[in-house]
Amino acid sequence: MPELEYNEEEILARASQGDRDAFGQLYERYVDRIFNYVYYRTGNTHDAEDLTARVFQRAMKHVVNYTDRGVPFSAWLYRIAHNLVANWHRDRSRKQEIPLDDIPILPAKGDHPERNLVRSQEQESLLRMIRTLPPERQNLLILKFVEDMSNAEIGAIMGRSEGAVKSLYHRTLLALRDQLEDQNLNLEGE
Amino acid sequence: MTKRKQNHNPDEDIKFLEAHLAGTLKPVAPTREIVQRLGRRIQMPYRERIASQFSDWSRLFIVFAGVLSGMLLIITVARSVYYLIGRRG
Repeated sequence: MPELEYNEEEILARASQGDRDAFGQLYERYVDRIFNYVYYRTGNTHDAEDLTARVFQRAMKHVVNYTDRGVPFSAWLYRIAHNLVANWHRDRSRKQEIPLDDIPILPAKGDHPERNLVRSQEQESLLRMIRTLPPERQNLLILKFVEDMSNAEIGAIMGRSEGAVKSLYHRTLLALRDQLEDQNLNLEGE
Repeated sequence: MTKRKQNHNPDEDIKFLEAHLAGTLKPVAPTREIVQRLGRRIQMPYRERIASQFSDWSRLFIVFAGVLSGMLLIITVARSVYYLIGRRG
């Protein structure tokens, strides 16, 4: 979509000159994606909302310094989100709160309501398992499945090559499979 | 419903796991209320601005020094007034 990309460049240029309306357009475009990312990393809507707000507040403050050095604006936003989520996890571990809180399942786009009940228990188990993975592996899975990004796009956000992302993805799946076996968790067949 | 055993076939297991991940890690839709609340917060970053001003140590030092100087001035004036009134009395 070259027209959209061109528009984004223009919007970014205006936003970096302090144009709040332009920043508002960027917000509209990315708020859902950042919320999704933070939601899956934190596991609750309350903190996801708070951290998403902070991501955009920080982005608004520093957008003046944003220059396109081969890193797309979305990747820049995800990096801010990643850093804030990392701080959030650090603060929580310092406060010694129990991280395994209930993970409320928000209705996914296009879900069948009659399957929600069966799926939610299975999903909760799998989500809990995902949340025990190292942060970069969690990031990878979220960006791949929730954000539907290619390895190259993920690489731009994570600061890795496409090949490195592919390799990490494979290792992550193997680790998850082993964890499922260790915990005797059987997923239902489709 | 059939339960599927893991490590049946490694490639098959990975594909099966990918299918489940795709079913679990779906994009969620933040409610309109959340998006609106977020929008309002981002338009009014007063709390953050105030906090950032307090993290500016040089400004904080000037404010603190100004308050102290003001207090000293008030005390000096009050003492001199008290002294003058005391002498007349």
